[in-house]
Amino acid sequence: MKKRALFTLAVSTLFVGLQAVGGSSSVQAAEKTIKFGAPLPLTGALAPEGIKIQRGLNLWMDTANAKGGIKVGNEQYKIKIIYQDYQSNTPRAVQTAEKLITDDKVNFLFSPFGSGATKAASGVSEKYGIPTIASTASSEAVYNQGYKYLFGTFTPNITLTQPLTDMVIAKRPETKTVAILARNDFFPLAIANVMKKSAAKRNLKMVFFEKYAIGTMDHSSALVQMKAAKPDWIFATGYLNDLILIRNQMSELGVKVPVLTMVAGPAYKEFIDGTGKLAENITSAAWWHPAVRYNGKGVMGKTENFNKLFKAKYNLVPDYAEASATAAGIIFQLAIETAGTLDHKKVRDALATMDTETFFGPIKFGANGQISSLKPPVFQIRGGKPLVVYPDVIKQIDLKFGIK
Amino acid sequence: MLYLQILLNGLLLGGLYALIAVGFSLVWGVLNVINILHGTFIVLGSYIAYFAHLYFGIHPFASVIISGSVLFCLGYVIQAGIINRVVAAPVLMTLTLTFGLDLLLNNAMLIAFTADYRKLILTDSLGSYDLWGLILPLNRVAGVGLAALLTFGLYRLLRDSNIGRAIVAVRMDREAATLMGVRVNRINAVTFALGALMAGAAGSIFSIIYPISPINSGLFLGKAFVICILGGLGSVPGAMIGGIALGVIESYGALFLGPEHSTTLAFVILIALLIFRPTGIMGRKGYE
Amino acid sequence: MKKIAIFVAIVALLALPYFGNNYIVRLATVMMMYSVLALSWNFIGGMAGYPSFATAAFFGIGAYVGAILQANGIFFGAAWFAAGLIALIFAAIMGRAILHLRGHYFAIASLVMVEVLREVVNTNDQITGGGMGMNIPILKISVEASGMLFYYSMFVVALLTLATTSWVYHSKLGFGFRCIQQNEAAANMLGVDSTKYKTIAFSLSAVFVGMAGAIYASWVNYIEPPDVFDIFLTIKPVVMVLLGGMGTVFGPIIGAVAFLALEEIVWRNFLTIHSALLGLLIVLLVLFLPKGALFFDYRQFFRGRKK
Repeated sequence: MKKRALFTLAVSTLFVGLQAVGGSSSVQAAEKTIKFGAPLPLTGALAPEGIKIQRGLNLWMDTANAKGGIKVGNEQYKIKIIYQDYQSNTPRAVQTAEKLITDDKVNFLFSPFGSGATKAASGVSEKYGIPTIASTASSEAVYNQGYKYLFGTFTPNITLTQPLTDMVIAKRPETKTVAILARNDFFPLAIANVMKKSAAKRNLKMVFFEKYAIGTMDHSSALVQMKAAKPDWIFATGYLNDLILIRNQMSELGVKVPVLTMVAGPAYKEFIDGTGKLAENITSAAWWHPAVRYNGKGVMGKTENFNKLFKAKYNLVPDYAEASATAAGIIFQLAIETAGTLDHKKVRDALATMDTETFFGPIKFGANGQISSLKPPVFQIRGGKPLVVYPDVIKQIDLKFGIK
Repeated sequence: MLYLQILLNGLLLGGLYALIAVGFSLVWGVLNVINILHGTFIVLGSYIAYFAHLYFGIHPFASVIISGSVLFCLGYVIQAGIINRVVAAPVLMTLTLTFGLDLLLNNAMLIAFTADYRKLILTDSLGSYDLWGLILPLNRVAGVGLAALLTFGLYRLLRDSNIGRAIVAVRMDREAATLMGVRVNRINAVTFALGALMAGAAGSIFSIIYPISPINSGLFLGKAFVICILGGLGSVPGAMIGGIALGVIESYGALFLGPEHSTTLAFVILIALLIFRPTGIMGRKGYE
Repeated sequence: MKKIAIFVAIVALLALPYFGNNYIVRLATVMMMYSVLALSWNFIGGMAGYPSFATAAFFGIGAYVGAILQANGIFFGAAWFAAGLIALIFAAIMGRAILHLRGHYFAIASLVMVEVLREVVNTNDQITGGGMGMNIPILKISVEASGMLFYYSMFVVALLTLATTSWVYHSKLGFGFRCIQQNEAAANMLGVDSTKYKTIAFSLSAVFVGMAGAIYASWVNYIEPPDVFDIFLTIKPVVMVLLGGMGTVFGPIIGAVAFLALEEIVWRNFLTIHSALLGLLIVLLVLFLPKGALFFDYRQFFRGRKK
């Protein structure tokens, strides 16, 4: 019996050993490549988000490589993105990031999805001194650790709520009360808290503020209570499935308000598919919208060009998550080309001093690494499409009130 | 008025919950197997309804027949082919086995359908009805009505049909049933298949209420656990009482404790019951 | 013979960081952690026969206690010990409440504990950070030193757990556990105080898991409720013990190594179907190897003879 045990033990150890050896050896490519690590949730609860990021990154990689790759000094380097699935599990995200750095020996890193995982993995990047760009992290809590190697393409959450609040009050001064329903999760809770602040700044009275647990399948109690409080404005946060459910239940229970804002579903086509006519007049804000118009440095060119390339490759209209991922790639490319080297510290400095414009918007990072130059558009769903209502320069339509 | 509306919401929710639990409770009570696959069966039923509606325009209530039949066959095969081999084994084995099977089925569904949430939208939705100030979401009312019908059907089946009586006999005393000529293996398979059928039917009805994704399977399963402990195992009335009780508790719980706690409330009640009265509200003994 | 083999193995494992690269050290740390989880579950599930699903609860408690203490400036080593102690106390108390249940009811109660704890942590966000998670301060030492620290820490805990397992196995306590597993009523009649023994088994299944949880939190520097109160932290050790041999001393370790090997191969090569493969492994195990690999009669299987 012991012999069998030893046998099993030996075989297993051998397997593991082989994997380790097999994993660490890297095949020398004939051409020069720059390796980018991208730990993403390609399976599990966050898979839809992970796949969006992947689309954005692949578009950048293919477009840039088709034009010869990244110019480092006098040489052209091809881009190679190494994807790793961390199964929507945050500690795994951290391990995957570390593995990409130590085993796959990536030169640069893209953060995992969301503020939580980004914050967790940023410790690893800082430890190894690897420049990292986060394409989906907005909470200021992510950038407050004094790290030097983390940069993010989303402005702080308040830039989403304040312009929206100002606009609603400007166009409908009789708005006095707001009700907030938030998913008890990193980002949805963070943005709900920030909305609380924005509302307070404009003297809106908060008549309801509740959090719902992850996995809540029935919001009727909360909605009924909200209805009884008779708010002028309902602000709901959560992920796609939560918001679709909330909107549908609002309709079932006869909850009607002048203004309904949801973050972060309405930007996605899947939300509109899931709510149909009920999506009409829902407002939201995001860090980018296909209707914005910016002139672009980098291989995407201006915004219309990016939209065109994206549609050609995926037959889809891009949303802000996908655009942000592509932007992250472009930003890396611009920084490397400016620095003229792959040296981590020099690229990091190039990122810190960047001041340019891309299809995504103006790019300038604050001292904490978070972008400070964006003006996130506010939009409203009209006729089944998200249309921009702010800022004025790219406005497509005027804000309308009334949710049935 | 607010309290009345919350009560109504709770009852409607409870009616749906009862349907989730009834199949699960039957399998647990009769076979002494905790079917971890139950949640995934429900989601599969929802997908069948979704695609039937998408490609053939079949109303989800009508596709209850389709999803029920498909799940019945699937359940029968799984039980007869795999679970039956270990049905006399200790609790740990059967629990782990159904867990493993659930991983398989769930992953298969993830690959087939992706994790993206689907929502079935009815073009001619029934809307809501205002009854003296109380809002009645009619889709839910219809869903609960259909669920009640199905549950009642199961109840009659167990009481009046030969197969039903055989199932009850196995639940009461396995050895005695064998001595009476009941083919226990076949009854095992039929019972499990019936549980799957109820799950599939529940899935169809839910498809108009909840977004559909394999990720949701665990949520349904969690509710089923609590309801079974609340209502007692293996009995249809027990599942109904347990379901309605849970719906009402969660509704009021969300009002008094806040929505973030309503799920935890259910679990805390579960633990309290387990500690003090494991046989549930109805007081019927399950297996040990 | 056996003692020499163990000695050689320990020396080899001690020397490992000097031969292997970061990846190997990380993998070995995970292996040590898995061994702790599997050996711990073995006390209550393998020896005493009570299907506990509470491992994740103890791990999560350990992780959060460790994180909270460290966030308040407590030295990490002390935090780890405290975490183990708190997990033990929690298990003793929780055990009093649910150990009188049998079979499925006990399994569910222990499972539900994990859910309740997770929500409790989520709600008390002033202390635990709630849904936003908790950061554990990074130690100001080099990457290599950090890797070695966590490896050796897990190794020590694993060794402690193994030593405890061996001692229990050969002692009256272990005998009592086995009696309870076979027939609890008879064991009581023979003078085995089953309540006391069960509580000890349950507490043993918690203390080292709690320590491992705290070490883990310090290792990854960031924890959130769904990640440390994760049902898979319970299921995987069960599978490992099933693989290696329930109720034995070395079975859980063999199972842990084998499981890790499988997991790494699958994770590298079969991303999209990895949970299906885990499911398949479980199904095959339960159907064909219910007593674990240690008890599997290879010769008979290959010769096709039936017992």
